[in-house]
Amino acid sequence: MLNFFRRSPANFAVNLAESDISFNVERGDSLLSSALGAGVPWPFKCKVGSCGKCKCRLVDGKIKPQLDFGYVLDISEIKQGYILACQSVPKSDITVSVNLNENEMDGK
Amino acid sequence: MKFYVNARYLIVPFMSLIAIVGILFGGSFAWVGVGLFALNTLIDTLTKNIHLAADFDDSGESYGIKKLQYSVMFLMLPVFIALQVVLAYRIFQYNADAPIVINSFLGLSYQAGISGFNLIGATVSSGLWAGLGIIYGHELSHNKKEGFLVSRLIMALSGAAHFTYAHVYNHHLDLGHEDDPATAPRGRNIYTHAWLSHMGQSRFSYILEQQRLRKRGSSALNIDNRWILGYLYSLPSIVLFVWAGGGVGVAALFSVWVIANFLLEALNFMGHYGLIRKDGPVEHRHSWDNDSVFTSWFFIEIGRQCDHHVRGETYFWELDDVEGPNYGIGYFSLFVITLIPPLFRVYVQKHLENWDEKYASAEEKLIAQKFAY
Ligand code: FES
Repeated sequence: MLNFFRRSPANFAVNLAESDISFNVERGDSLLSSALGAGVPWPFKCKVGSCGKCKCRLVDGKIKPQLDFGYVLDISEIKQGYILACQSVPKSDITVSVNLNENEMDGK
Repeated sequence: MKFYVNARYLIVPFMSLIAIVGILFGGSFAWVGVGLFALNTLIDTLTKNIHLAADFDDSGESYGIKKLQYSVMFLMLPVFIALQVVLAYRIFQYNADAPIVINSFLGLSYQAGISGFNLIGATVSSGLWAGLGIIYGHELSHNKKEGFLVSRLIMALSGAAHFTYAHVYNHHLDLGHEDDPATAPRGRNIYTHAWLSHMGQSRFSYILEQQRLRKRGSSALNIDNRWILGYLYSLPSIVLFVWAGGGVGVAALFSVWVIANFLLEALNFMGHYGLIRKDGPVEHRHSWDNDSVFTSWFFIEIGRQCDHHVRGETYFWELDDVEGPNYGIGYFSLFVITLIPPLFRVYVQKHLENWDEKYASAEEKLIAQKFAY
């Protein structure tokens, strides 16, 4: 009952599946900016939700999308839990799966 | 310091309110918005050599107060609505042949009724200040879900709700490339660009929606089509102006939209004119900075394009000088130059030559050689 009055934690933990990498996200910050801030070589290009380069799969936990992922991700990807890290604000501790070797730039 | 950093971005809200009050007072005060624009051009030109870095405290934190700046940006929506309502009120009076007399309200004199000449002033004032909605529409397009809708609504007041999607999904991705309608190639003038960029972004936004809906198995002719929805957001303005003044109302609203969209496209024109990007990431060199002091404060740092396009997620008060290509003058001054295409071509030549020499990659140089400027 007192849950209602409890302050949510100042930050959440992010664990990368199939690796021992983890880092914290301050409340309200995006997954991508926190990852980059923690020195994780997360793939990205536009940082505004338009290129899809930062996509990863949410294995566990909750995020709040900042933009509609439907412009960049396929319906099947969204159903499988794919999200855009630059447009995702964690709302709990989360586990995500991301291909960190994807970060070579391609195309325009 | 905190007060100074936050208060300096309130010029547009403050001046927009003055423009609204000017239209309400009537008479020659209806031109106040135009006068302010001229005054700003003068201030911008006189202070063109002052360039300041962004302000951070010792721990590297910005002094910007997010809650305050967001509240201001959200509150600009009702301010821009008020700007249209006061113009509609004046059009209503003009159409009803209301006698031009001096009245008083709470001890303040104002002119009831309006002459055709002063109605032109009120319309141009509204167009110019509605056009500045872009600085909020732009910032809000990048941050947070709620902001995205407010951005669309602000842009819809100028019939340009498509901008929000086109800006994020087209301009930021395709910057400097021929696929970006908002990047003006060398040799194009501002008038042609305004039309091509506007139509190109709207077209992109339509195709984007078509593709999104197709993925879901829906038709593009759908109320869930956000391109259509964006234009529907503009309906209240159309209804208001038709009701207020019939043909005169439509002409006034059309003028407001033309002026506002011209300003929007002028910012795109000035931000990227002639810059080229071959494959690869967007870098600082793919934008022009306009960060003289008055431009920075007035346009809430939208002129720090070089940093913005590389760190699109960054709040405007945190954007900084990154030593990218820089015109060295502010937007108002440059805008005046762009209005005279032969003058702009002469002015921009040395900047383009400098860009080709200092910033362009080998591939970009090759493309640049194909353009005569
Ligand atoms: S970095 Fe481009 S969508 Fe996230």
